[in-house]
Amino acid sequence: MVLFPHLIALGLYALATALVLVPFSGLRSAPRGLTLGVPLAGVVAHSIGVARLTPFHGVAPTLSLLALFLVALQVVSEGAFRASAVGVFTGPLATGLVGLALLIGIAPEAASAPGAERSPWSILHITVSLLGLALLALAFSAAALYLLQFRELKAKRFGQVFRLFPPLERLDRLNHLALVLGFPTVTLGVLLGFGVRYAGGAHVDAAQVVWGMLTWLVLGWAVGVRVVRHWVGRRAAFASIASFAAVLLVYLALKLSAPGTQRFL
Amino acid sequence: MSIAVFGVNHRTAPLEVRERFAHAAREVPGSLGRVLAAGARGGVLLSTCNRTEFYLTEPGDTVPEIVWTLLAERLVEGRGAREFGYAHRDRDAVRHLYRVSSGLDSMLLGESQIQGQVREAWEISKGQAGPVLHRLFQSALLVGARVRSETGLGMGAASAPSAAVALAGKIFNRLAGRSALILGAGDMAELAATCLAAEGVRVTLVANRSYERAQAIAEALGGGARALALDEAWEHFGEADIVLSSTAAPHAVVTWERVASAIARRGDRPLCILDLAVPRDVEPAVGQLENVFLYDVDDLQAVAAQAAAERRTEIPAAERIVSEEVERFWAWYGGLAVVPVLKEVRDRLEQMRAAELERALRRLAHLSAEDREQIEHLSHALLNKFLHRPTIALKEAARSGRGYGLLESLKKLFDLERLDDG
Repeated sequence: MVLFPHLIALGLYALATALVLVPFSGLRSAPRGLTLGVPLAGVVAHSIGVARLTPFHGVAPTLSLLALFLVALQVVSEGAFRASAVGVFTGPLATGLVGLALLIGIAPEAASAPGAERSPWSILHITVSLLGLALLALAFSAAALYLLQFRELKAKRFGQVFRLFPPLERLDRLNHLALVLGFPTVTLGVLLGFGVRYAGGAHVDAAQVVWGMLTWLVLGWAVGVRVVRHWVGRRAAFASIASFAAVLLVYLALKLSAPGTQRFL
Repeated sequence: MSIAVFGVNHRTAPLEVRERFAHAAREVPGSLGRVLAAGARGGVLLSTCNRTEFYLTEPGDTVPEIVWTLLAERLVEGRGAREFGYAHRDRDAVRHLYRVSSGLDSMLLGESQIQGQVREAWEISKGQAGPVLHRLFQSALLVGARVRSETGLGMGAASAPSAAVALAGKIFNRLAGRSALILGAGDMAELAATCLAAEGVRVTLVANRSYERAQAIAEALGGGARALALDEAWEHFGEADIVLSSTAAPHAVVTWERVASAIARRGDRPLCILDLAVPRDVEPAVGQLENVFLYDVDDLQAVAAQAAAERRTEIPAAERIVSEEVERFWAWYGGLAVVPVLKEVRDRLEQMRAAELERALRRLAHLSAEDREQIEHLSHALLNKFLHRPTIALKEAARSGRGYGLLESLKKLFDLERLDDG
């Protein structure tokens, strides 16, 4: 009962992505009920599958949970901001993540293997961190859409991007909200991670601490310029993209320099 | 029974002719009355700036002449109206109205204003329309609504003023509550300002070379707009969200030097400048400023043309709906005519049966009462059997929209033309 909901979710996410992308080829947009309903149905199926995955073990379940958060946020963006274009980024990403998780192999029975148990705090750390990451990805998507729409409007190109992307201000607000919610969520996730590892007596690599702090500072800067210095629009979008890029780069650097199974990703 | 439309529109008559044919609401009953008096059962007059059309039921032979004469009276002496006009009958007349109400026949393809104009025409002519045109106009409004909801014929901003709204709407999350500054007194700016005001944009400042003219426009737009001399306007580029410019200046009046410092004060707040003047009012360099979105008439027309092109791809789908609905209406209309014609045919044959029976029984006086009854029964049975299949076929044909042609044949075969005179 893990594989089947994941397969349904994969299909629905792929369909939802197609519904978002097809209008860019000049075809008519799908009715809003479909652009909201299909990913929402995927989220429901996916939630059933993910609920049976806990306690998380290995990379596949965490990829699956990240995809679930991404699509859930995509649905919220469409519902509250009429920003279905966010799915241009989140749709393929979430579909890919679920596909990858299925390829790696989602095996709940692995959780029962000796030494594989995770404490509730650890699960909370993983969940909160992934939610923070998904919010940052949403902020990145909104910022990228903003910059694309900005470029089209400045260049006076009135094609599909002009027609299908939301107004600049709406994308800016979505970016602001996702960033302002994402930063404290990631912070809480990181703090929980430290707490879990210190409480468990595990060693935390110095490089991980330094690079993690650096990433946190970059994220804090992106939020700070928005909240304190009131940056909006293009500058704020660049800051948001830079901070998300920093998170990804640091993660990749750490993963390559110190591969291990201790971290959930 | 028949339906006809006689009229002129933007395709057949130039504006100077159309504006003479246009009827104010108070003129409609008089003109319709004259046409109905010439021999039509019901009528609706649809008169907009792009068309004047008389929809009539069962118009007599002299009616077209009356319509053209009535319209010609509005032209300068010696000119005829027929040369600008067209006539459609029956299904074609129904199709014409459905195409009109769905925006397929509009100058601006898919525009929705016509829907309200069709409703208004129907309401003004209600007392003279008659049941068939009531039903026709009611269905025309439904067809218009169906085309708009099931196709993309009304999507996008297909006119320059609505393109101005669409462009501003791609920058700002909501237009309601935004402030607009108007430079100059051009008609286009006024039209675009009206469109923006309909979206909730507040025109707060109107600047013009002539202060009096600025004041007049500010008063016309209402909403507490303040008048300014043109040279006072540059400072306000720091506050307004939208600038509509349409001066008659022969060169650019909004220059980088004049507005850059005011725009710099805006920080990251976007400014949408719509330059609707020809020659342009705004120096292109102003559009290079960060967060300034500058569009001229060509850009508005590009947006409008693109929307119009997208609308054109929806024409086949819209025409399919119109055809479907024409058949639906015609089925109802055919059914409406079936009942009296069938009754008349039956009455006519019944009279013949009774007469022939009486003649036969006179010759067969020797028959018993029982035999006479049998023969009478036979004559009834034969009549019913002869009529059964044609009656069923006619009702089925009426239901499928083919009844009208059969009815016409039946009326000719049984010499029932007088039914039309009843």
